[in-house]
Amino acid sequence: MNLARYILRRVLFGAFVLLSVMTITFVLSHGLGGDPIYSWLGRAAGLHPELAAAYAAKYHLRDPVYVQYYYYLVNLSQGNLGYSPSRNFLPVAVVIGQTLPFTLQIAFFSILMTLVIGILLGVISARHNHTPIDTAIRGVYMAGYASPPFFVGLVLLIVITYNFGLLPSGGAFDPSLTQPTWITGIPMIDSLLEGNFQYFISALVHVILPSMTLAICFFGIVTRVLRSSMLEIMHANYIRTARAKGLDEGTIFFKHGLRHALMPIVSLSSLIVTWIITGTIFVENIFSYPGMGRYVVQALNGQDYPGILGTTIVYALVIVASTLAADILYAVVDPQVRLG
Amino acid sequence: MIVVASFVLTGVLVTISELLGTKITPYNPIQQNVGASLEAPSWAHLFGCDFLGRDVFSRVIASVPNDVVVSFCVVGVAIIVGALIGATAGFKGGLLDELLMRFTDVIFSLPVLVIAMVIAVALGPGLTHLMVAMIVIWWPPYARMARGESLRVAHQNFIEAARFAGQKTIGILFKHVLPNISITMLVYATLDIGTVILVYAGLSYLGLSVRPPAPDLGEMISSSQDYLITDPWLPIIPGLIIAIIVIGFSVLGDGLRDALEAR
Repeated sequence: MNLARYILRRVLFGAFVLLSVMTITFVLSHGLGGDPIYSWLGRAAGLHPELAAAYAAKYHLRDPVYVQYYYYLVNLSQGNLGYSPSRNFLPVAVVIGQTLPFTLQIAFFSILMTLVIGILLGVISARHNHTPIDTAIRGVYMAGYASPPFFVGLVLLIVITYNFGLLPSGGAFDPSLTQPTWITGIPMIDSLLEGNFQYFISALVHVILPSMTLAICFFGIVTRVLRSSMLEIMHANYIRTARAKGLDEGTIFFKHGLRHALMPIVSLSSLIVTWIITGTIFVENIFSYPGMGRYVVQALNGQDYPGILGTTIVYALVIVASTLAADILYAVVDPQVRLG
Repeated sequence: MIVVASFVLTGVLVTISELLGTKITPYNPIQQNVGASLEAPSWAHLFGCDFLGRDVFSRVIASVPNDVVVSFCVVGVAIIVGALIGATAGFKGGLLDELLMRFTDVIFSLPVLVIAMVIAVALGPGLTHLMVAMIVIWWPPYARMARGESLRVAHQNFIEAARFAGQKTIGILFKHVLPNISITMLVYATLDIGTVILVYAGLSYLGLSVRPPAPDLGEMISSSQDYLITDPWLPIIPGLIIAIIVIGFSVLGDGLRDALEAR
């Protein structure tokens, strides 16, 4: 009962956050930006004033901001996010539908790698606490954390792609292969379901480098938190009890210690998801990956307001949803958390 | 006291780096020299020259002050705004507390990079605009921290004593509450400066910071990444400089935490 009320409150708050993101973005992009018609139509706007006027009337560009916002909300309630001038006036919803699956692929593999590398190195440095191994791991994660993702991406490109020729430099798949048909919308899952393993392998090879970039930048926080919570827990009384019972050190470390030390990682997960989702904007542009990050930069440069708004809402939706999931998961897993 | 001292120190540092930035570069950082285009690093040009023949070493020196100014201004304003909002909310309590903290929660939940991008585009590119964009979304963690700390402080005996002595709430807030929460916030701020520099570098990489030909580390990486294969030092050197600055501030923050919070 208490949990249900807690979840309801968190969901309502999440919806409120989404609405504020939408309003803030809308007002900022429409209230201050000037007349976008020239960047939308290029030279044609100056040569054909009647065309510019027709476009302005069609997209309500000359109306006050609150009237435009009213039209936007009405369209949104019908599932229409507007049309994107930077992509030949395709519907924004269609463009997002094409690009979001690729962003989700990168995000999924980045989170996976971040957790695997982070937990592995965290365990190693807790086991070898205050030895050169510990110090070396600390140096590695500090260097990773301190480097901006686009820099790490460029270094990986130089070393892995150009020096060793191991992985492709960009793109999301080999375009000469047959594309998977639309089942779930996410190409890698579709190709697996269809049995199109050639495409799956190609997509996997293309996703490694961008995901590795983000993992290198963000695994440090997992390692750091896990190391300190591990060291704290190994001094707890129940660990001493386990030692007194005569259990071997490996069982104590992994079965009694690690399971509890992983708890703070659950509460960190929403932070990690937020970082990685925003990090995809950079790696997609470096590795020419056809996801939403490339679209948002294109939209920002072309004063493509519907595109900016649509992508911002989707990014916010992903972040709010993951925060919500992490909060609820934490409340379910840890009975000590106050459901306030 | 420490907060005041740190602000004075910051001011001095920023002024020095500004002055030095224009005086000590070996070459003019925006002077083009086609003959030296893409020259490899040598004793004459320590970090080589970019595609327009501009000396990369001079450009790096001239652009470091940008990061210093942006990070100290953003964190400084975030501390002041956050401390005032958080301390007021925690100390006053009631409906005001609820309103202020819900507002903080909403701003806190906004995706930082995306909103900063939108604000920076709406205002147009430029160092000041970018700073405004980052300040708008940077204060909520400080407000939360200040509220928590002031709740801790609010019921201690010396606050009660000040109240009995007839001091006004505002006076108590400035004289007794804020000084007591400043250490924790200062330590967090030092660690936070690295994050500001990273986000700033990202926005600058996307072309939202200084306008060309003015130099900036993030912009230097994005404009030279086409020369990645032939002249890899062009994008790598600015990236390394960013990493070194960030590592420096996080080591400083760790040290400050050990020194000040070991009470």
